[in-house]
Amino acid sequence: MEISQGGDDSYQKKFALPVDSEHKSTEFRLFSVAAPHMRAFHLSWISFFACFVSTFAAPPLLPIIRDNLDLTATDIGNAGIAAVSGAVFARIAMGTACDLFGPRLASASLTLLTAPAVYCTSIANSPVSFLLVRFFTGFSLATFVSTQFWMSSMFSARVVGTANGVAGGWGNLGGGATQLIMPLVFDLIHHIGATKFTAWRIAFFIPALFQSLSAYGIFFLGQDLPDGNYSKLHKSGDKHKDNFSQVFYHAVTNYRGWILALTYGYCFGVELTIDNIIAQYFYDRFNVNLHTAGIIAASFGLANLFSRPGGGMLSDLMAKKLGMRGRLWTLWIVQTLGGVFCILLGKVGSLGVSIAVMLIFSVFVQAACGLTFGVVPFVSRRSLGIISGTTGGGGNVGAVLTQVIFFRGSRYSTETGLTLMGVMIICCTLLITLIHFPQWGGMFCGPSSKTTTEEDYYMSEWNSAEKEQGFHKASLKFSENSRSERGKRIGSAPTPNNRTPDTHV
Amino acid sequence: MAPAQGNCRIGLAISTRTRTLSLATISFAHTCYGGVLFSTLPQTLAVSASPTDGQVLKAGEDNITVTWGLNQSFSDGIDSAYTEVKLILCYGPISQADRGWRKTVDNLSKDKTCQFTIAHRTYMRDTQNFTWMIERDVPTAVYFVRAYAYNSSGNEVAYGQTTDAKKSRNLFKVQAISGRHSSLDIASVCFSAFALLSVVGFMALEKRGRNSAEN
Repeated sequence: MEISQGGDDSYQKKFALPVDSEHKSTEFRLFSVAAPHMRAFHLSWISFFACFVSTFAAPPLLPIIRDNLDLTATDIGNAGIAAVSGAVFARIAMGTACDLFGPRLASASLTLLTAPAVYCTSIANSPVSFLLVRFFTGFSLATFVSTQFWMSSMFSARVVGTANGVAGGWGNLGGGATQLIMPLVFDLIHHIGATKFTAWRIAFFIPALFQSLSAYGIFFLGQDLPDGNYSKLHKSGDKHKDNFSQVFYHAVTNYRGWILALTYGYCFGVELTIDNIIAQYFYDRFNVNLHTAGIIAASFGLANLFSRPGGGMLSDLMAKKLGMRGRLWTLWIVQTLGGVFCILLGKVGSLGVSIAVMLIFSVFVQAACGLTFGVVPFVSRRSLGIISGTTGGGGNVGAVLTQVIFFRGSRYSTETGLTLMGVMIICCTLLITLIHFPQWGGMFCGPSSKTTTEEDYYMSEWNSAEKEQGFHKASLKFSENSRSERGKRIGSAPTPNNRTPDTHV
Repeated sequence: MAPAQGNCRIGLAISTRTRTLSLATISFAHTCYGGVLFSTLPQTLAVSASPTDGQVLKAGEDNITVTWGLNQSFSDGIDSAYTEVKLILCYGPISQADRGWRKTVDNLSKDKTCQFTIAHRTYMRDTQNFTWMIERDVPTAVYFVRAYAYNSSGNEVAYGQTTDAKKSRNLFKVQAISGRHSSLDIASVCFSAFALLSVVGFMALEKRGRNSAEN
């Protein structure tokens, strides 16, 4: 990996993929592992997948765990809520860490710091210890933020929706894959000779080891930015170490970040809730056996293979023709339709139709997640980390809220809860109509004026003292490249050097 | 939810006594259409078990001796249809509270009160007994013992149990194995410590990298 010797040597760099003036890749080649862009992609989705596998490793084994630890339904419900609530603040903290230390160190550290919780699940011996390990394991879902941040740093506006969507979607896949992996691992260990109450404990070492190894991969093979790591770039002066309070201020004062945080709670939050309750729903309402219920539950999560990436790609596609306004409209339509199918899911009474509706619902709700992160990279350039973190955290808040309101105790039957959750999705998604970018417009209004530019919007995050010192240069490049969000086939600024197809960096 | 039909295809193998029957029985019972209602069964069997009220037994170590036979106060012909007897371990109400997966339902094909088979025998009028080592996957809970008599079609036709109708007397407790082993404990702690030390190592490496970038 070549590291810059000084700010103007960027022309000497050769990347395997075509890049823009920020050296972000303008193409997304799924089957390449070229450093730094595609390698970062593969490292980030694999580690995020591992964290999802760990966080949702317990639900498929609950029939064994609940007998071993003498859990009640309330204990199980509380542990499920704990698993998703830890990440609310962890995601916001992660956003800050990415802004300050870079996604590589932030995500490798968090992944390794939460691995002990997964190892210690093997030695849990009571409802309280079970809740605690699920709570701390859930912190690892904050690696979502580093994934999105890293993709937004490596891929240009043209493909950032796709990159974010595939990385996020394939990571979320872990929530579905674990419903198949863990029972399989458990069966294998049980077959070898361990008793049930020991076999599930040994089984947890698999996700724990996978998670640990992925962290090492990120640390040793990954790189924060196309031009190098934060630590080296800070030293060489290419990247200045930003001021936390300024970054924080510009994040919390941007209302678009808060709206997206809330609406993300009603696509991703809903997805997490379903991950926790859907197996039991099918088991109880339709009397399928536990194995079948697990397979149905897995298929909900496995749809992430194509549905979330599809959302990201759709966002990029709509942006080509209609710019940011296209991204916002598509997000609103898809997420509202997700709400409609959620209402339907609670109403249908036959197994076959219910599975079909659930699959359609999963596609829309996961695509909405991908579409959300097609918009997030443009909300702020300086505070991208905190905005990503707040949006991601909002997702988990949505999961906690929906489980507490609709799926706890016996106030509502599960089917009523699903229908009401669908209504809430539709209502909260209406907030997207309020998002307006002065340079591009919103759903119902065009740009504030003909002369408002991307520079105006992104430069407003820097004061004149900072501009004098040249700290705003990266945001300036980003402004130029984001002109594509106007939607009239204005491409991003081309790289000054030739785009050579060298295979190494 | 399941449509009611005539015969219940439980599909029990008559002669085997394997422990795997317990799980197979439950899954077969779930695929059964219709099903006998518990409230319709006469309590004609007399069942007693060795544990006393409130006694705590250890799974994997202690035994339960179960004795069963026809309650002599009933007339002779009442057991003409009985071909098999199954003895099962059932949860007491306190262990069913807030645990829907152990719920008592009148329809025996959906009932989840009893999840472990102690013995499965051909029915004989004389009193029989059996000593059962409590299996290692029996969870910590409060239990009683029940016996079902089956007819030749495999349907329940009578029962007997060691507790009263309210399931409040003569319940015993089983203490399960923890499933933990010292080797697992040590492995967990070691791997966790290694992970945490690695983070410290990462920070140190980053700092060194930052310092050495001055060239």
